[in-house]
Amino acid sequence: MHIDARTLPNGSVLEADLCIVGAGAAGISMALEWIGSPRTVLLLEGGGLEYEPAMQDLYRGEIVGLPYYPLQAARLHYFGGTTGHWAGFCSTLDPIDFDKRDWVPHSGWPLRREELDPFYARAQPLLELGPYEYAAGDWQRRDPTLVPLPLDPRVMWTKMWQFSPPTRFGARYRDAVIGARNVHLYTHANVCELEANESLGAIEGLRVRTLDGKEHSARARYYVLACCSIQNARLLLASNRRATAGLGNGNDLVGRYFMEHLEIPSAELVLAKPQSTKTKMYMLDYGTTKARGELSLSAQAQKEHQILNGTSSLEVGALGEPVKSTFQFLPPDMIRQMMAWEKSGKKGPPPLIASLPPSAMAPPPTSPRVFHLMTRQEQAPNPNSRVTLSTEKDAMGMPRVRFDWQLTELDKRSIRTYYKLLGQEMGRTGVGRIQMRDWLLSDDRTWPSFISGGWHHMGTTRMNDDPKQGVVDANCRVHGIGNLYVAGAATYPTAGSANPTLTVVALSLRLSDHLQSKA
Amino acid sequence: MDRRQFLAVTATSALVAGLPAAFNLHALAQPDLLPILGPEAVREIGLRYRELMPAENQMRALHAVILAARPWSARVPWLAGPSIGAMVAEDFAAGRTIVLQGWVLSTTEARQSALYSMLAD
Repeated sequence: MHIDARTLPNGSVLEADLCIVGAGAAGISMALEWIGSPRTVLLLEGGGLEYEPAMQDLYRGEIVGLPYYPLQAARLHYFGGTTGHWAGFCSTLDPIDFDKRDWVPHSGWPLRREELDPFYARAQPLLELGPYEYAAGDWQRRDPTLVPLPLDPRVMWTKMWQFSPPTRFGARYRDAVIGARNVHLYTHANVCELEANESLGAIEGLRVRTLDGKEHSARARYYVLACCSIQNARLLLASNRRATAGLGNGNDLVGRYFMEHLEIPSAELVLAKPQSTKTKMYMLDYGTTKARGELSLSAQAQKEHQILNGTSSLEVGALGEPVKSTFQFLPPDMIRQMMAWEKSGKKGPPPLIASLPPSAMAPPPTSPRVFHLMTRQEQAPNPNSRVTLSTEKDAMGMPRVRFDWQLTELDKRSIRTYYKLLGQEMGRTGVGRIQMRDWLLSDDRTWPSFISGGWHHMGTTRMNDDPKQGVVDANCRVHGIGNLYVAGAATYPTAGSANPTLTVVALSLRLSDHLQSKA
Repeated sequence: MDRRQFLAVTATSALVAGLPAAFNLHALAQPDLLPILGPEAVREIGLRYRELMPAENQMRALHAVILAARPWSARVPWLAGPSIGAMVAEDFAAGRTIVLQGWVLSTTEARQSALYSMLAD
């Protein structure tokens, strides 16, 4: 069932067993799990079924830390959420990502990778991926022409990514959600406040507003915040009627530990013997490639060198040519053009051709010699990297976000050490030589103006069994509030090097199971 | 030092030390990096190395430190010791690397590049 909240009489009361706030990858994945159950689900989406600039503007915020992408363009505020423009990159977190690492402050999850494996397997079909196989050997068996580079597994290994079509959750699951009798989707239903009971031990209801000035309320037994890391934190902080610091924020943790994946051109690889070096396993023909490898740092090397987890991808290029970071490659207007191009049936060349490096315009060489190496690295959990409330308010009267992205010396030292180790491996094996880019050679405190993430917003309501170290527990329940949960990457204590969506969906399925067992 | 002088030093070094050809000055001044990175990049790497290591900024000194870095088997005339390529690989395996102009290089090949830059000069 679908209802536009703007069509409801002012002051309507919406009720169900479960209320999910936000209809992106996390919220829709959960809602799908409840279809056909005897329980009712409210799925509240702030935006409509399609992109609307006025709804996007609600995400606008103040950027006060390191340079960042405009917040109103980094996330999509409509049914399907940011899957409306994601690229489809999927991989699992590594076992070490869940460990408490004594060289990474604030690291450690309250669950193990093995506990997530069955949910990863269930997430694969939702994201229209292949089999739950992420070992290079599995893909080599399928296609013997995919050969991993001869790296010492004690130092480097080939970590595999799979590529979703990409699944646009809004388009792919619209009929299923709207057709479900027990799932009630309300669009243009912006949750502006969580109302707690007097003891702050439970949520009694939600204030829901529409842009045309109506206010409704929503009530359920259980509530799940699934509206992305920044908005989840914003909503908790803004729900300060009874708790002045915001709900779930008794230990001043909500909004802290915001994390991104550092995605930035960092080095170049020049092959010694291009004719005889097999690199097909690492190549991405977007829209065609089902899986590809990236060069990943081993757990042993991370521990030995006291650095973070990271990978690099290979892109055919030319030595010394300028390469854009992720944010530079896809500025907001380019993303809009790409969305329009896709919506029009992909007629003509994709607009992002204009953003490609010069070498990409030439026919691909049969034996490429030079590769740009693009880092994808976790950032160290950092309490000073945070989301707070701005004094400015949006059109709903809700405080906007003040966004302060901060990195540490460990982040940069890790990237540099990664490339030094990769350079040693490439030299030892005779594969080639690595040249680090200039920005990486400076001190550990300086970041280039083109510092970039992957639009991967993580942290802000981190998971830890200790309420003094985390906002939610291992079941993603907000500490101290019996019926409030958080879904999505906001709960990640650490980010690993894998793009977050697969883990977002896996954790959402896990949370769904947990809530179904309670309901 | 011009090319004529360089060749004279090379010949003398080889004769005096009784070195295998792979370890004479002329051979060492042709690092395997050349076909990978090209002569200009190798020259720049060599210049940077000499700038960073003034104590080695002399042809004989460079030759001596490369020879001194050889494993024992390469110093016994009747043994077929490791090639310079093997020494470079061993440098990488042991972490004996240096970053010059952003390139992650083995110490041996960095010294070879320095020799090359002297010849190129």
